[in-house]
Amino acid sequence: MIKKAFLFSIFSLTLLFTTSCATSQSQTDQHEHEDTLESFNRAMFTFNYNVDKYVLKPVAKGYRAITTPDVRTRVYSAYLNIKEPMFAANQLLQGEFKQSGISLSRFVINSTLGLAGTFDVATAWGLEQKKDDFETTLAKWCVPDGPYIVLPFIGPSTPRAFAGLMVDSFASPVYWLTNDHDDGIYAYGAYIAAKSIIIREASLELGDDLERNSVDFYTTMKSAYLQNKTDMPNCFNDTQTNAAYDFDFGIEDEEQTFDEMEAE
Amino acid sequence: MKKGIFAAILGSVFLFTAHAKADINAAQADAFVRKVANEGIEEIINANVSQSVKQQRFEKLFNEALDLDFIGQFVLGRYWKTATPEQRKAFIKVYRELNIKTWSARFDEFKGKSFVFNGSTPSTSKNQIFINSTVAMDQGEPAKVVWRVKQTGSNFKIVDIIIENVSLAITARNEYTAFIKNNGGNIDALIADLQKKVNAPVKPAGK
Repeated sequence: MIKKAFLFSIFSLTLLFTTSCATSQSQTDQHEHEDTLESFNRAMFTFNYNVDKYVLKPVAKGYRAITTPDVRTRVYSAYLNIKEPMFAANQLLQGEFKQSGISLSRFVINSTLGLAGTFDVATAWGLEQKKDDFETTLAKWCVPDGPYIVLPFIGPSTPRAFAGLMVDSFASPVYWLTNDHDDGIYAYGAYIAAKSIIIREASLELGDDLERNSVDFYTTMKSAYLQNKTDMPNCFNDTQTNAAYDFDFGIEDEEQTFDEMEAE
Repeated sequence: MKKGIFAAILGSVFLFTAHAKADINAAQADAFVRKVANEGIEEIINANVSQSVKQQRFEKLFNEALDLDFIGQFVLGRYWKTATPEQRKAFIKVYRELNIKTWSARFDEFKGKSFVFNGSTPSTSKNQIFINSTVAMDQGEPAKVVWRVKQTGSNFKIVDIIIENVSLAITARNEYTAFIKNNGGNIDALIADLQKKVNAPVKPAGK
């Protein structure tokens, strides 16, 4: 499994470099995101949309129906706890040694005293959670994001995000526990399925709402995904700014325009 | 020595004029957003009145607080220039109606929630500023909500809302210009599609 995932990461990084070299700067609108793989992406988006519509969404609804909000909060907390070693590993790679120690302590404390992570005792002790994944690490290492790509089952992504996802899966305790067993792959698959349901349940309203009001759902999702990740650190600047959304409206005499409009 | 004083005076004059040019009253803009958010939550979402009264109140607040003419113009992108005055008017109208309808359907999700305001960030645009806030979520970390405010005289208007780095104005612009492009540059097709969404029966989200 390690080998396979490693090959995947290499593959996606190669894709990243070849396609980002091939892309030309032919933007007609400064706010438009380039989409060199659009026809492939749209097809994949439709595939994922149907998987969601007929499988994931109904299951997420079922999960909501049989659980109370409090149960879901506990489950979500446990899910985040499982990711804590991954946060720690990435913080180490980013040179954030203190934060890495905090994440590791959080994992130990919450897995035991926090009853398998269902309660977050560590935060109450002043050990705050900080999420860092391998994509953030790559971003800090100056690896460019690459073109927007919709992947089957995974959804909106970029080569860097996909490479990050693959590498992060090695830092999961679920992976360590299941890796050596013959049926480990099924257990790991079950974990991925559970994770998908937990995440999907939390965005049921938002997803429906976006879809209902969208005239081009593909573009809406792409736009939201790419904007959302603009707060990722980059190698030149660690501090997050509002530069991504501090765009120029490009409207000079709006009052005049509307006075003219009203007059007509 | 004299030269130094002169330079200092010149520098400070320049500083003041430069400052005045991009001036927006941060404290007032902050107070304005707080008032809008508070009114929305207290007098609409948490109020013990019927849904239709809530909707009426929301429509009033929405029209007063947001500069939709300004946003709408940005959202149509390059097609704003080619649109006829009638198309512009029709688009702003349907865009306004759809926004009011969308947000009204989601009142329940914001029940019992409140915004925590964390100061402001300057904008490179003249007379504009970002007011930062967070809102607690049912699960996970609080969501980051940034309000972009424009000042005209003593009048404040919201011109964009940015949720977790996603600007509603940019998202709408990407979506609408893509739609028009895929419909052979036909702005009326977009207006018709949006009108259809406005006319569709209200379904509670997540059902």
